[in-house]
Amino acid sequence: MNETHHHPSKTGTQERVVVKDVSYSTDPADFAYMSLNVPCQSACPAYTNIPAYIRALYEGEYGTSYELNRMVNVLPGVLGRICSRPCEEVCRHGEPELGKPVNICHIKRAASDFKTAGHIYLEKFFAPQGKRVCIVGAGPAGLAAAHDLTTIGIEVTLLEAFDEPGGMLRYGIPEFRLPREILNAEIGSIVRLGVTMETGVRVGSDVSVEDLLNRYDAVLMAAGCYVAKELEIPGDTLSGVIPGLDFVMDVTTGGTPEIGKNVLVIGAGFTAFDCARMALRLGADDVAICIRATEEELRVTQDEILEAKREGVQIKGLMASRRVVGRDNVEGVEFLRTRLGDRLPNGKRKIVPIEGSQFILPADSVLTAIGQGAEPIVSPGEKDRRGVLKGDPMTFLTSVPNLYVTGDFMTGPSTVIESIAGGRRAAERIAEDLTGKKFREWAVRIEEAQVTDRQREWDYIPRSEMPTVLPVQDRFKTGNIEVEKGFSPERSHIESQRCYLCYLHYEIDISRCIYCRYCIDVAPRDCIKLVNEVVTDENGAVTGFVETTSWEDVNAVVIDNSRCIRCGECLRVCPTDCISVSKVELVERMLQTGRD
Amino acid sequence: MPGVDVTVEVCGMAGDGTIAAGGLINEAMSAGGFSVLGFDSYPAEIRGFGRCVTRSRIGDEEILAMEDETHVLISLNDQQSISRVPVLAKDSALFFDNNPPTYVTEEKSLAAEVDPETMLFGMPFSDLAVEAAGTDRGRNLTALGGFAAVCGVPPDFFRRVITKKFKPKGEKVLDANLKSFDAGYDYAKEHFAARLKTMFVEPERFEGRERVMLSGNLAIGKGALDAGLKLYFGYPITPATPIMEYLAKMLPERGGAVIQMEDEISSIGAVLGAGFAGARSMTATSGPGFALMTELITHGVMAEIPAVILNAQRGGPSTGLPTKTEQSDLQAAVFGGPGDSGRIVIAPTNVAECYAFTVKSFQLAEKYQTPVVVLTDFFLDNRVENLPMPEAAEDDIAGGNIFPDDSAKGSYRRYLDTETGISPRSVPGMEGFTFSATGLEHTERGTPDYSPDNHMKMSDKRHRKIQGALADLPEPREFSPGGKLDVGVVGWGSTFGSILEAVNTAQSRGLKVGALKITAIFPYHGDVIGEFMSRCSRILIPELNHSGQLANLISHLRGNDVVRLNLATGMPFPPSAILSRIEELVKAGA
Amino acid sequence: MAQEHCVIIGNGPAANAAAFTLRENDSDVRITVIGEECDHQYRPDLLPDYIAGTVAEEDLFIGRSEPYKQCDIKLRLGQRVVNVDFQSRELVLEHNEMIRFTGLIIACGAKPRIPEPLEVFEDLMLTLKTPADARDWIDRLAHVDDVLIVGGDLTSLSLTRALLHLGKRVTFLINGGSFWPVPFSSELRDEVARRLIERGIEVTECSKIRRMVKVSDHAVEVRTDCRTMTVGILGAFFGLVPNVKFLARSGLDIERGVLVDEYLKTSVDNVYAAGDCAQVYHPGIHDYWVSIGYANAVELGKTAALNLLGDMVPVNVERESILKIDGINVNTSWWTEF
Repeated sequence: MNETHHHPSKTGTQERVVVKDVSYSTDPADFAYMSLNVPCQSACPAYTNIPAYIRALYEGEYGTSYELNRMVNVLPGVLGRICSRPCEEVCRHGEPELGKPVNICHIKRAASDFKTAGHIYLEKFFAPQGKRVCIVGAGPAGLAAAHDLTTIGIEVTLLEAFDEPGGMLRYGIPEFRLPREILNAEIGSIVRLGVTMETGVRVGSDVSVEDLLNRYDAVLMAAGCYVAKELEIPGDTLSGVIPGLDFVMDVTTGGTPEIGKNVLVIGAGFTAFDCARMALRLGADDVAICIRATEEELRVTQDEILEAKREGVQIKGLMASRRVVGRDNVEGVEFLRTRLGDRLPNGKRKIVPIEGSQFILPADSVLTAIGQGAEPIVSPGEKDRRGVLKGDPMTFLTSVPNLYVTGDFMTGPSTVIESIAGGRRAAERIAEDLTGKKFREWAVRIEEAQVTDRQREWDYIPRSEMPTVLPVQDRFKTGNIEVEKGFSPERSHIESQRCYLCYLHYEIDISRCIYCRYCIDVAPRDCIKLVNEVVTDENGAVTGFVETTSWEDVNAVVIDNSRCIRCGECLRVCPTDCISVSKVELVERMLQTGRD
Repeated sequence: MPGVDVTVEVCGMAGDGTIAAGGLINEAMSAGGFSVLGFDSYPAEIRGFGRCVTRSRIGDEEILAMEDETHVLISLNDQQSISRVPVLAKDSALFFDNNPPTYVTEEKSLAAEVDPETMLFGMPFSDLAVEAAGTDRGRNLTALGGFAAVCGVPPDFFRRVITKKFKPKGEKVLDANLKSFDAGYDYAKEHFAARLKTMFVEPERFEGRERVMLSGNLAIGKGALDAGLKLYFGYPITPATPIMEYLAKMLPERGGAVIQMEDEISSIGAVLGAGFAGARSMTATSGPGFALMTELITHGVMAEIPAVILNAQRGGPSTGLPTKTEQSDLQAAVFGGPGDSGRIVIAPTNVAECYAFTVKSFQLAEKYQTPVVVLTDFFLDNRVENLPMPEAAEDDIAGGNIFPDDSAKGSYRRYLDTETGISPRSVPGMEGFTFSATGLEHTERGTPDYSPDNHMKMSDKRHRKIQGALADLPEPREFSPGGKLDVGVVGWGSTFGSILEAVNTAQSRGLKVGALKITAIFPYHGDVIGEFMSRCSRILIPELNHSGQLANLISHLRGNDVVRLNLATGMPFPPSAILSRIEELVKAGA
Repeated sequence: MAQEHCVIIGNGPAANAAAFTLRENDSDVRITVIGEECDHQYRPDLLPDYIAGTVAEEDLFIGRSEPYKQCDIKLRLGQRVVNVDFQSRELVLEHNEMIRFTGLIIACGAKPRIPEPLEVFEDLMLTLKTPADARDWIDRLAHVDDVLIVGGDLTSLSLTRALLHLGKRVTFLINGGSFWPVPFSSELRDEVARRLIERGIEVTECSKIRRMVKVSDHAVEVRTDCRTMTVGILGAFFGLVPNVKFLARSGLDIERGVLVDEYLKTSVDNVYAAGDCAQVYHPGIHDYWVSIGYANAVELGKTAALNLLGDMVPVNVERESILKIDGINVNTSWWTEF
């Protein structure tokens, strides 16, 4: 069993534990296999077991599907709506000749939408550890950390500066993208585990960090990023120039800020889009998002761009703001045309303004959404140049013992799913530091499997896009109508059929292969290869194949799982049954409670 | 308004369902009331690799020959179809799979080869079939769906013939194939709405007409059955094998038998044995097998035993071009073998004649107590035509035997020298009539006699008998307005269809030309042929061989003043080549 | 080393000018022109006359096979480029064919723009850019008497004339702030409106189309800010956008069109863009610029070809042609507003 499914490691130091026909591996070669061959799970910062939850939904097990999400991501219903979806970018179904990625995100939402009222949350609790931790900030990072520490058996107090928990989810994302009852329910299911929640407590002013450090065994700062970056150009203080984040927070807390008919949004992130779409709902006629690079370089989802444009938002590219024009009130913004420069190490483009190309776009209101940073909080410990507490990205520790940081507060603005993953990792680290024990560990779980009931024709089902409220006029009746309507159970089931289930691993047993090449004849693409040599890296991970067309040089017929779409045709035609299937998943094992 | 005359090709690799798709096109268009002539070509290997091409010429007039150009190409394998690009007509339509599983390089791409005017209809054949039926086996049907939608064939005609073809294989198979077809049809309707290229105008002509699709080989097999064949002996050889396959299935049901012999020599031996015993029997072979048979055929001549031998010609000599067509066995059929061994040789020119002549050959063999050679060729054997279901007249089926009067009992002479040369015949079991079958020269009683007078007399009797058969053989048929002609084209076998099409076209262009079809190759109607030749300023004899074998046989009727047009390409004779030669001759004579 | 292979995407004036310029200046290079439409190169300006029945279909077409054969240029029609891999220098056609190139000129032109808020109604609107579009109009016009023109650009004016010639009733809905390719000045707006009304065309103004509903095969109900009407055909004329969606995520810099420098060079070596899919920064007008018009396209096509062969010819930004359509002068040869 091990031999069949195991890419042998050259280091060979990791031990495998075999339980029945299941084995677990922490061999780096197996992790490398996962990132190459099950791209979605590896691309998820939280390592959500995507094939498994899609399969569960396919089987009608909405609750199971939800739980498969929730065990690594405490807010599936939320993320099923507003996740940035790094998984979909790498989904195999989206490879050029294979169509479009599976709508992974919205299947998650379907699992959340359709789990029954009688759904039982699965929580695995460790024994009480006799420790107490205070977490500052009830955003996604803080909530995830609170959940994990609580289940580990550590008492958690969660301090939130605002009136309600949720952080950016509540105050930075408009209701038409994220209904509040979903958010409240999922936060509630964390808090009810025994988290002590105190809202309206602003750490640094209402209570000092030193004080907390004295009262708790550890303090985790997860206070997020709430300070909007300023334009820092002439005129940016004119009336009518509004920091976008403030604008969004105003609306999300029930305000109806004054907004002109003609609105320019300066910025390129989700906040810019939220600003633009909220402005339309507040009665603006013409709303344009002005970006320095091009639409191509935007890092928001395609859905977001599409819906914003449908609502009438214009995206204007290649322009850098230079000056806000107006006497007392804003009258317009002067821009310079830009040219795209080289690509920078962070993946973004260098922007080169073109001298002499200035032009003015008229505006009644200007919303700036060019980024945000963490608010400096008075505390001991080493700070960055803006006065924000610094932490080690691996250990989450600051220069002060027992004081930890995580989430956007540590990294700067990131995505919700990254924050959740960061909160969890910080929690694990704190628990280990406080108790000297490891509680959970990531491993590659390998299990014998069968070919599934997936039909080849399912590969041709077109991607289901999220249905939205149309025509767009209907969205504006009130400010908070959820635009995305969600899949019907039928639609989500159909979409779930599209998943190739890349967690299945197909392998040819060379000792039994008779080189008949039937499998190659039925292969849907060049996924089965006549190979002279298998290339591996220093960890023993397969990195490529040396293919050959000369029969004398063929040493093996190999299934390239990074090309394989798991259609099973090869297995069905193999005359010697030399092709086996196994299921490989990244799983988090409970180390202190026995085996999962 | 010009009528319909469209040539459709399906090209693929063996295993792509190419032949099946071509067959369905033929059936559907035939059911729709069009005339159809289909011809498949497949690779020489016994099982196999390589390219399959089916061509179907569809028209509202009777189709006489294949045309050189193709108007619609359905490619089930692009790499194979690239070789078909040169035959594509201008503005032709090309159907191809636009989503093959892997990328194709420019060098191997069909779309890279065609002219810009070619209308491209790229459809994901495999994907559509998989999507519709869960398997890509039906991708050929999907392609047909596209063809039907774009070219204006009512889909029901295809659905009906698909049902007929696949129903015997079970509902599941049928359903999958129908779904695949519909998927292609719907896709094409949706995606090519702006570019539909209706070729088959007047949909009302798609009213069912009772016609059957028959290949030459099946017509021969059916003719033999209808004529009351009892025994078939043979050894497989391309292109005659399908006859044996057909009879092996059908003959036992009717109380007959098909026996595969160890070679062609034993096959003809067994046929002669059966004939000697009075049973209708036959064998079918091709040139190489016929060569082996010749010695025993002359035995049949000498012993005066009825036998029917079908020689399906292919490219020769020797193994030659097993899957290509040629007309190069005429001399072997007429003259092959030792001695003065005249025998009857008839050559059909189309599928209907394949049937009729096969039926007739048994009667001729019995009446004239001689081997009868029916001479076909690869193109004739394998092409399919749609025609009314052929039926044989009672008269043609009737026995041909002339048995002796009872009065001859006791004084019966097996080889009696009569005026016609026909000696009343006895078969084993006829009491009082001594039967005999000897290869030695013999007396009227059948006893050996090598005397000069006897050999002269008996040779003359046998010769007289064969010449006398002319009365029962089909006369040459003339296609002309009559009277003086600038060019007369004489031909035989499968080439005659091409000749007739060329002559029809020439006539429609106002040329004074005519065609003469010769089906009785030996003996031949020298008087009729000579009279025709005398009315023509020039005589043109196109043949698919290098030496001009019919011309060699009959050109003496005009002092050897004939123009030969010989092609040995292995391909059916293109009408255009004949037409241009006719026009040259007319011009030169003017 | 393999032969140089220059591929030109597109079959319009820029593409063809580029192809023949390449051949004139290099007798050895292999040249392939790939056109997405099945038709040979045609005169888009004649399409309204074709619809009116005053120009025969065959007179629409400029190109035929012969010149290409003579110049040894491979012309491929009805074949669509769906992806370009600039790293391996291969492009992929819709039918999964891969073509290697050493040089590439992107001249794939532009297509009619449908504003995103109206995209949901796209099926209910007709545009006019290609002969296929014109055939659509002809088919549909056989069944209807009244036509609503939404938006407004130069093509819509010629079409309106053609529709009047056919005896159709035309309503013109002047929408938004631009009369493509130029922003609406009040003079231009008045001029357009006056001429339309003179001809007996009803001119309506509105700021937003709320909804379109298909009533029957030959009737669409249109609801705007100010009124609701039912018409036979709805023609959408919001100008053109470069047809460069297939280059998204290819790594090539695109914004509205393919971003090129003054030598028409893109962000990738040996890859140029020309015609109305190229977006150039125009130092004269201090803005990005996309050309319009036949003459411009030809000029840019030639320039791209010469530069691909190693010249350094800057794009001629001085050209300023006056488009005169239906008596209305539009003083531009480019568009900048989107």
